Amino acid sequence: MTWVDWAIVAIYLIWIVWDGLRLTKRSNEIEGYFLGGRSLPWWAVGLSVMATQLSAITMVGTTGQGYGDGMRFLQFYFALPIAMIVLSVTLVPFFHNARVYTAYEYLERRFDAKTRAFTSFLFLLSRSMSLGVVISAPAVVFSVVLGLDLTTTALLIGVPTVIYTMFGGVQAVTWTDVKQMVLIVVGLIAAVVVLIMGLPNDVGLAQALRIAGAAGRLQTFDFSFDLTNPYTFWSGTIAALFLFCSYFGTDQSQVQRFLTTPSVDAARESLLMSAYWKIPLQALVLLVGVLMFLFFLYTPSPMLFNQVHERAMQEGPAATEYRALESRFEAATASRSAAARVMTRAEAAGDSRNLGIARAEFRRQDEVARAVRNEAIALVRQTTGDPSYSDVNYVFPTFITRHMPIGLPGLLVAAILAAAMSTISGELSALSTATVIDFYRRFVRAEASDAHYLRVSRLATGFWGLFASIVAVWAAELGSLIEVVNRFGSFFYGSILGVFILAAGFPRATANGAFVGLVAGMGAVAWAASATNVAFLWHNVIGAVTVVIVGLAVSVLAKR
Amino acid sequence: MTQIQRQYVRVVIVWVGVLVALYIFQELFS
Repeated sequence: MTWVDWAIVAIYLIWIVWDGLRLTKRSNEIEGYFLGGRSLPWWAVGLSVMATQLSAITMVGTTGQGYGDGMRFLQFYFALPIAMIVLSVTLVPFFHNARVYTAYEYLERRFDAKTRAFTSFLFLLSRSMSLGVVISAPAVVFSVVLGLDLTTTALLIGVPTVIYTMFGGVQAVTWTDVKQMVLIVVGLIAAVVVLIMGLPNDVGLAQALRIAGAAGRLQTFDFSFDLTNPYTFWSGTIAALFLFCSYFGTDQSQVQRFLTTPSVDAARESLLMSAYWKIPLQALVLLVGVLMFLFFLYTPSPMLFNQVHERAMQEGPAATEYRALESRFEAATASRSAAARVMTRAEAAGDSRNLGIARAEFRRQDEVARAVRNEAIALVRQTTGDPSYSDVNYVFPTFITRHMPIGLPGLLVAAILAAAMSTISGELSALSTATVIDFYRRFVRAEASDAHYLRVSRLATGFWGLFASIVAVWAAELGSLIEVVNRFGSFFYGSILGVFILAAGFPRATANGAFVGLVAGMGAVAWAASATNVAFLWHNVIGAVTVVIVGLAVSVLAKR
Repeated sequence: MTQIQRQYVRVVIVWVGVLVALYIFQELFS
């Protein structure tokens, strides 16, 4: 990166902190700090909802997935628009009319204090740990790609976000999210333009897309009904419906967003914005990955995109084996590129017989190049002893820093930082709200002035920011612990939705029924995750259905 | 029909349209 790019990143960081801090004076009482005085416009909240959900992991991980695996991952989002309608009809009016601060507060009104405290505790535990991952994932990538120390990159992401969230509250979170969302979209469009312009002069966009199609990178739909396959049309439309209803309808980081709107209809409108734009936006992110595949078809690409591992392999004990793989990869990618050019020429000449042959040859060479790359990844795993090693997160940052013209690397790094910060700020604000409203005000000090709660809220935001930053810096050492906690978090996603279904949809459901159902749901998901090969999206269905059945059974039997 | 109910119908229509467009895109270039 040049000094111009670094200047752009610095200007972005200073501007976003200044912009967030400007809103501090509007957050001088608790409702203003946590809910923006319930007066924020639906369109700003809608953009904030989208920004909170789109993290830096999406920017670097999903583009990498598009590069290696094509558009298939898009199916994951198919149910999102329907989930937004379901929530707009069901949970949104319940929460809004109850005038609660947290989703879990509603559970105490409907059931009891222990159900509220337990669900809120589960949220705090899993979100605080996953927040560490949200910071560490881009921090690790930036430290490798930009050659900076991991602590520096983690602090670069975490500190500015904590500052403006701590002082500006949810208003700062929402209004900075709006600007960050615009920056993210501008960055993605700039990447698409540069990638298209980077295609050879004799290869048109339509021809290039046909090459991507021949390599299977444009295969979006998989209609097979296979419960062990994580991404199919059916898991994306049925199982993901439960996940999105749970995430957008019961997770405080999202519920808090739409509670800041002045009316039920405004809250609904804010959610429906994602219903319209989430799939096209995600398609754009994956398309960047597909276009990178096309770009590296004609431009020599590294076999591995993590340059630190690449260097370590070139100089390490398996160097000879690795160099042999590099030579094979170079030959395979050259043959693949030649086959793609033959395909393009045959298509331009309208020679359908040779087009078929060239297409088959291109596919074969692509398989060879993929197989060699997979062998290299397996060798890294074997040499480093890290069985989960993958360089999927390094493809887009490598393209940005090595192949984009001056100024744009700065813009794209700022866009990735914006994606990270918009997620972190929303989650920090939600963690602080749940801590203060569900625990401090409920169990420690029920009657105090707004100024007191505001002080405690700011301290809570600072505490969770510090906690997440420590988790982020130590993420490598805490790897297995974080995985355990995140896995534990995934056990209750569907189950917690089941509790809200009981609360809002079944008047006969009792507090004890809901609590026992929740524990049973988590147990059922833990069993499904450990004893079966059922893909994770279906765990949400298992959890929610178990909670509703067990919860209703216990409620009815206990009354008899 | 209220304004928000019309919005729901619009979301479903756009949703179906986007999925059909993605399928056509896939078939066109595969």
